[in-house]
Amino acid sequence: MKGSVMRAAFGRPKAKLCLLRTLDPAKGGEGAEVLPGPRPRPEDAPIRTGGLVRRITPLFTLLVAAVLAGVAVLSGSVQAAAGFLGAAVVVVAALAVYLIVARARAVAADAQREARTARAAEERLRLTLEGAQVGLGLIGSDGRWNQVNAALCGILGRSHDELLTLTLEQVTAEHDRAAVEEALATLQSGDILRWEAQVFQVRGDGTRVPVEITVAAGAHTPDGVGMFVQEADVSVRRRLEGLRDGLVAVRQVILAGPTWELAAPQILGGLCACLDWDVAQYWAVDTELRALRLHHGWHRDAAGLEVFYKQSRRLSIAIGEGLLGRVWQSGVVAALEDLTQAGDYERAAAAQEAGLKCAVALPVVTGGAVTGVIELLAPEVRHIENDLVTMLSTVGVEIGQFIQRAETSQALRRSEADHRAIYERSPIGIARISGEGELLEGNPALLEMLAHDFETMRSQAWPDLLRAYDQAAGRSRIPPLLAGITDGRSVQLRAATGDGRWLWLQLTATPIPDPTGVPEHVLVMVEDVTTVRDSQDKLADALESQRGANATLEKLDRTKTEFLSIVSHEFRTALTGIQGFSELIRDGGLEPDEVRAYGGYIFNDADRVNRLIGDMLDLDRMESGKMSIRTGDVDINEVMSDAIQRAGSSTTAVEFKADLDPRLPIVAGDRDRLIQVVSNLVNNAVKYSPDGGIVTMSTRSEGGFALVSVSDTGVGIPPDEISHVFERFRRVRSGAAQSIPGTGLGLTIVKQIVEMHGGKIWVESAVGHGSAFHFTLPLAAETAPLQRRHG
Amino acid sequence: MGDPAAPTAAGATVLVADDNDVAQRLCKRVLEKAGYTVLVAADGLEAVEVALTKNPAMILMDVAMPGIDGVEAMKRIKAAIPTMPILIASAHSMASDRERFLAAGADDVLAKPFRLADLVAIVGKLTANRGA
Repeated sequence: MKGSVMRAAFGRPKAKLCLLRTLDPAKGGEGAEVLPGPRPRPEDAPIRTGGLVRRITPLFTLLVAAVLAGVAVLSGSVQAAAGFLGAAVVVVAALAVYLIVARARAVAADAQREARTARAAEERLRLTLEGAQVGLGLIGSDGRWNQVNAALCGILGRSHDELLTLTLEQVTAEHDRAAVEEALATLQSGDILRWEAQVFQVRGDGTRVPVEITVAAGAHTPDGVGMFVQEADVSVRRRLEGLRDGLVAVRQVILAGPTWELAAPQILGGLCACLDWDVAQYWAVDTELRALRLHHGWHRDAAGLEVFYKQSRRLSIAIGEGLLGRVWQSGVVAALEDLTQAGDYERAAAAQEAGLKCAVALPVVTGGAVTGVIELLAPEVRHIENDLVTMLSTVGVEIGQFIQRAETSQALRRSEADHRAIYERSPIGIARISGEGELLEGNPALLEMLAHDFETMRSQAWPDLLRAYDQAAGRSRIPPLLAGITDGRSVQLRAATGDGRWLWLQLTATPIPDPTGVPEHVLVMVEDVTTVRDSQDKLADALESQRGANATLEKLDRTKTEFLSIVSHEFRTALTGIQGFSELIRDGGLEPDEVRAYGGYIFNDADRVNRLIGDMLDLDRMESGKMSIRTGDVDINEVMSDAIQRAGSSTTAVEFKADLDPRLPIVAGDRDRLIQVVSNLVNNAVKYSPDGGIVTMSTRSEGGFALVSVSDTGVGIPPDEISHVFERFRRVRSGAAQSIPGTGLGLTIVKQIVEMHGGKIWVESAVGHGSAFHFTLPLAAETAPLQRRHG
Repeated sequence: MGDPAAPTAAGATVLVADDNDVAQRLCKRVLEKAGYTVLVAADGLEAVEVALTKNPAMILMDVAMPGIDGVEAMKRIKAAIPTMPILIASAHSMASDRERFLAAGADDVLAKPFRLADLVAIVGKLTANRGA
């Protein structure tokens, strides 16, 4: 500390008047500039002017004489000039004599006056020195005190006479002694005129006292330069500053320190530096051992502390035991001002060996409980002031709060690390997005799941995903992702991966609010539920098809009931005639004509019942696949002609027209079945045609098929019934058509036969204008070449 | 037809409405033999028209007829002449059908095929009621 003062002084060695910079670490290194040595005072100037006037008077007289002589020469009178010059010389000589005598007298008077003045000044100085509040003294070139005032005696705690036997170095504390010696030497050399510093002086009782010392070079004596010394006791100020600086130092470390472990040495060191203690130890309460254990130590100088530390480290202090145990128990600062006198200090011997004589201990209070004790030790007996106790209590509380804070933040960091690990290693994709929906972060699982790098994910895939989410959410009546009120409900959506797969993703959004509760960003969990979803879909499909099957069965059931109802109606209608007329015949009393007519009715209805049964059996065999087609060559034109002939012979109500293509190739088919088809269509046409209607039969070859048509000019089929005409018992019921008898199975059978031949059948119709049934059959020519190849 | 027990309103006019030619002939023959004057209609609309213009003593009505069916024709006739006795004769002879026809306003239901004596008996009863 003092070395830096000297360095500053030597920085400008050539300067007689130099700036001394007093560096005081306790003030945070701020420097106080002083201007050493005497300074020219403005009132000196007139005095100098007076002296100058006195010195130049004889010269002025000579000059005047010379000028007058010159004037005489110029006026041409050498005589006159010589006369003037001689007179002038005489005058000057006389004047000089006078002046010398006067000067001698004045000097004598001055000497007398100065002696008086000096005596008065010395008396004033003596009185000043004695009366001064600051310590003042003079030291000789050997450093011995020549003169000291009462204040200085008081500061140094020594009597006037004792002090005069000592040197400045001797009353200076050991660690400051070298600095003082160096300063005195420099002052002797004349390189600096004044030295200021803070040093410790040693009082008569051996205690140290901090002083602000100013040493100024005084008069040169044959032995060297005497020094003027001023000392001010700054112990109070220094202690207050130390307390303040100590607290500041602790707070600075607390603010900057990450953990107590790292901050502890700095805090202990700071306390020692600011409060001037040599050793500081932190003892923590070990809750398992229920004892205080040494955790941290700091010392100004390790020399001689080995045994003390060794013992300290071994020690477990129970509550209430010794100084530290008492502090732990009471929670208040305690001190042992003189360890040599203390009865219960745990390490008394070791402390004595280490030269430690005073100890103060402060509790570290965390959350209302003492969690540790800090002990400060000094090598001399000290009086512990109340303000130090107050300050140390404050420090203890603040350190406690810091420890708690540091532990909390450490726990937070640990928890953050845990979360980070979860985030990084989670098999679930996790995305952190801004309030505007921008992807800020995506964990490895997310990027891997969707096979995107982060940039593609951020710029393309994620916006798509968000849109899909909002659409899916809309369907599920869940608010959009960024509405901020998602309550953890999930949304499932379909998304494409970077490598072209499609996944089912389940997204669950959780808004993360900032401390004010406003959603700052949103965490989105993304799960690949493709497997689950696929099996769900399969299950749903299975259920759906089961439902379909049930519906079909129900429909079949209804159809069966309907079928039974229709069939029984058909049979009973036919049987009404059969039963009624046969009853009439049986009861007798009829005319022969009547009997014959009734027999005809009976036959027709019986025939109809038979056809009905035949059609039903045919249809059943066709639908169950039991009926086979006996394929052979069929000339469809011939079938058509025969049908016209047959129909024409049984009715004259309609006119038949044939439009048969003579080049129509032979078709491959079952002749009997095809005859059944054509006659069915012709009978239908006849049935539904009014008297005088025209039934047109046509054949044509078209694209490998024979196109066969039977059209009429009958009642036509209403549009809503067209699609049902080929269903069983779907006879057109409206209008005159309903009076046409039939089994209701004809067209159903026709359709089956055509389709069994590999053809198609359809109908065109307009109500009131008639209907046209068309069907196709594959031409035999298409298959003939194949047969020949085999042949 | 000479069953002395059958109540006969001599000269009463009966309307037979049936689209089936054979059934129509049968009924006409049987009822005429029983002493009734028989009118015929081949569909529902014709049945309504004849019933309203000729005001027969009763109507024998088939159900499955083109145009409007027997049930609809019966409703229209009953709307005009509430007292007109109507016998539904249908080959729809499931149990539910009988209830359906009665609920629609039929005075009686005769299932086809039927015994001739039953036909004559019911027609006689209904014409007697009408006459009373």
